[in-house]
Amino acid sequence: MDIDDILAEVTADAIPQEQKDLQQLTRSWVAERVAPELLAWPEELMERVLERIRKQIELVEDQTGNMDPKTNFKLIIIQTELERFKFLVRSFLRARLKKIDQHALHYKQQHEASQTTSTPLLSPNEYQYLTAHEALLSTHYTSSFLSQFPANLQRLDDTTGGVSMVDKPDEDAAVFVRALKDVGQIFVEGTEKKFEIRRGDVYVVRWSAIRRWVELGDLELI
Amino acid sequence: MYGEVANKLVQNAKRTQALAHLPPYQTEMVRAVTREVRDLDKDIKQILDPFQGSFNPSSEPATAAALLVNHLCMRRNKRCLLAYHRVRSDKLEEMCWNGIDVLERTQQQQANSGSGEGAGAMGVDGNTSSLSPEEEEYVRQYSDLLAAYKGQWTDIDLTGSLEPPKDLFIDVRVLKDAGEIQTEYGAITLTKNSQFYVRQGDVERLIAQGYLQRLS
Repeated sequence: MDIDDILAEVTADAIPQEQKDLQQLTRSWVAERVAPELLAWPEELMERVLERIRKQIELVEDQTGNMDPKTNFKLIIIQTELERFKFLVRSFLRARLKKIDQHALHYKQQHEASQTTSTPLLSPNEYQYLTAHEALLSTHYTSSFLSQFPANLQRLDDTTGGVSMVDKPDEDAAVFVRALKDVGQIFVEGTEKKFEIRRGDVYVVRWSAIRRWVELGDLELI
Repeated sequence: MYGEVANKLVQNAKRTQALAHLPPYQTEMVRAVTREVRDLDKDIKQILDPFQGSFNPSSEPATAAALLVNHLCMRRNKRCLLAYHRVRSDKLEEMCWNGIDVLERTQQQQANSGSGEGAGAMGVDGNTSSLSPEEEEYVRQYSDLLAAYKGQWTDIDLTGSLEPPKDLFIDVRVLKDAGEIQTEYGAITLTKNSQFYVRQGDVERLIAQGYLQRLS
């Protein structure tokens, strides 16, 4: 442990929880919009954020009758902040839904595999949406044309013939990352490339090569 | 035969992606492709029939090749059909998200189709809707699903604007009479051509529906 780490720890403790949550939310939001793959659902963070939004809405509703210019001015600031928070959450959820819609079957399998771990991929709501949407789509396909197909061609997740019907996101897409901590050697699979990432560095790398560190929080996507 | 119609469908789907509205559902083509798949399947059965289940590809390379071609064509046709329907349903979903009532719109189109472009779209069975009955059903169910999912996020309003909010209050001009709306600062009556300085969150829906115009 060197002096930087000690400093980092001290400053991290000094920041209040609210501010850390905002930082985390912003980070998750950026990451979700940039990453080619769906990231795990930040359950605790979202609970805290939603709880706070609810409280602020109550506060605003409580005080709108008040015409005192001082509280009124404070209210406007709170409402502006509220709108911004709502925007972050909304955009975050929509980014996730978009990915879920795009590769529904793939994420379904992944989620089911991750359900036993401590970080499930989807929130219960999202999973519900995914299954319902999937069921809708397949009934739609079936009633439109699939029902008239020969029985061995009616499946939607066929893997025979060498091509899997389940589409996957492109894990080799390039992303921009910034290092929050020293990461050490990174080895890009399939190439001869090896390099070292130090704190504060910015790189363009394949998502598949650095996914592990993003999940750990050592790298942030930008 | 062998994927020609399906190719046309895919081209149609590609065009659809760039269009703002949804072109009419190609019932005929979809039917033709499904028929083709069934014919190919029959062909395969006919070819395999004389072998009585003891077909050995290496001893009959010619027949094996024919079978392979038929198989691949069927698979390709299936993919094309799936792609075509997916593009269309994606588009319909997008409309649902944007708050456009797809079903109402098609009915409107039916109503104004007395002249001009409506005549061209008059399909074989005189149905002017650009959606197939299955698609209409799909839209109905998807909007229900969307409403249910949205209901779990009441505080956030998922279908709200995806532009980062800059100001709490904005200037809007009323384009169509929208009646009275309730805000936290009292009721406002929106009459045509009047201008207001209101909270963005209160009028977002109305802007999306075209009642109000945002002035920058």
